[in-house]
Amino acid sequence: MSKPETPLLDELEKGRWPSFVKDLKQAAKKNPMARDLIHQLELSYKDRIGHWKHGGIVGVKGYGAGVIGRYSDRPDLFPNVQAFHTLRVNHPTGWFYKTDALRKLCDVWDKHGSGLTNMHGSTGDAILLGTTTDHLQPCFNDLSDAGFDLGGSGSALRTPSACVGPARCEWACIDSLDICYNITMTYQDQIHRPMFPYKFKIKVSACPNDCVASIARSDFSIIGTWKDDIQVDQKEVLAYASSINIQKEVCDLCPTRCMEWNGKELKIYNDDCTRCMHCINLMPKALRPGKEKGASILVGGKAPIVKGALLSWVVVPFIKLEPPYDELKNLIERIQDWWDENGKSRERLGELITRLGMRVFLKAVGLPAVPQMVKAPRTNPYVFFWPEDIQKEVK
Amino acid sequence: MSEELKKRIAELFHEKSKGDKKMFYIRDVTKWLPDEDRHAVQNAVKELLDEEVLKYWSSGSSTYLILAEFFPKE
Repeated sequence: MSKPETPLLDELEKGRWPSFVKDLKQAAKKNPMARDLIHQLELSYKDRIGHWKHGGIVGVKGYGAGVIGRYSDRPDLFPNVQAFHTLRVNHPTGWFYKTDALRKLCDVWDKHGSGLTNMHGSTGDAILLGTTTDHLQPCFNDLSDAGFDLGGSGSALRTPSACVGPARCEWACIDSLDICYNITMTYQDQIHRPMFPYKFKIKVSACPNDCVASIARSDFSIIGTWKDDIQVDQKEVLAYASSINIQKEVCDLCPTRCMEWNGKELKIYNDDCTRCMHCINLMPKALRPGKEKGASILVGGKAPIVKGALLSWVVVPFIKLEPPYDELKNLIERIQDWWDENGKSRERLGELITRLGMRVFLKAVGLPAVPQMVKAPRTNPYVFFWPEDIQKEVK
Repeated sequence: MSEELKKRIAELFHEKSKGDKKMFYIRDVTKWLPDEDRHAVQNAVKELLDEEVLKYWSSGSSTYLILAEFFPKE
């Protein structure tokens, strides 16, 4: 019996996600880049080391982002992946494609690249994996003709992303799609021409369920919320009582214990509600977000690298968001400007706030300190008085 | 755009690139010119990029600036 060509990858194919290998093998039948990629990957598993060299070329004419240079360190063995650059293509907001747009995207990529894609990368972009330096500009030209543009990479504003929002979701408190599109179009220069100390990510979730995980993944999170009371349909609450244990599954699991259930009526102390969405998610026919809708703004979320992972902090508890979003954009620009001026190279916004302090940040961007900013009452009172304010009080 | 500022930035790049280090963050460039407005420096750098005096070099996560003549060949 002949020895298999890629025994380690074949083993992986038997695991829980066989399509990773299966799809590569399928692509390898028609594309020599994909074929060499498989064999280089097999070698990487064998040697227990990545055989890629990262970095270098950044884009096409006029752009400083959107392309991530990648080269094989074994071009002698795998000449077809000697250059294997990645293109980040700005996805349509909410990831809604028409099938003809997807076909066009794939046709362009079959023509210029390996045919391999990652739909979608964690930034949100459509990731096109593997093309040569010669093909970058022609590929970009064809993508532009098909209505696509490159996304952000490097020390730039990364491609803003949003949940599907009002297009498909009944909980949407803001038009996440329109906000994301508006921000993307406004900040084209920041996306394509990196001038920041490091990456800056903006993500928009239309409700506190935060389906794009903006709290954990973005420097500037916009999360839909409401200001008034949760809308309650007591008849529907009673109907739920026959299928779920409201006391145990709803009231007892409310993080602020702001609900009471007497077997007939659900009472909500809205002042104590933190918009966790648990009750609404559990009884969607009975409970709905309030009518006065807007968004909370949080800043400083990031994955670990320099400092540990950070979750975003509330800096604006409630803001009305309506086109053209001038107030929002003004805040984004004030924050970016402060970070750009004070941040060290490769320092994210959250790390800078941790280093200089929240009160310095709030003063610089002109935001008042409010109780909703306190993450853990009486344990981390990070907002202190300024000496001049104390002097005023003393006088 | 001040041609003078662009010239100074290009000169600084040549001077700072004499050693082994050829790639710099935009933050390095604004630090070289503490008396200049940061935005003016950034705009001048953008023009130098358009004129291909400078080039971007990116690791994918962060971006550097490098004199075009030192940009590594494949």
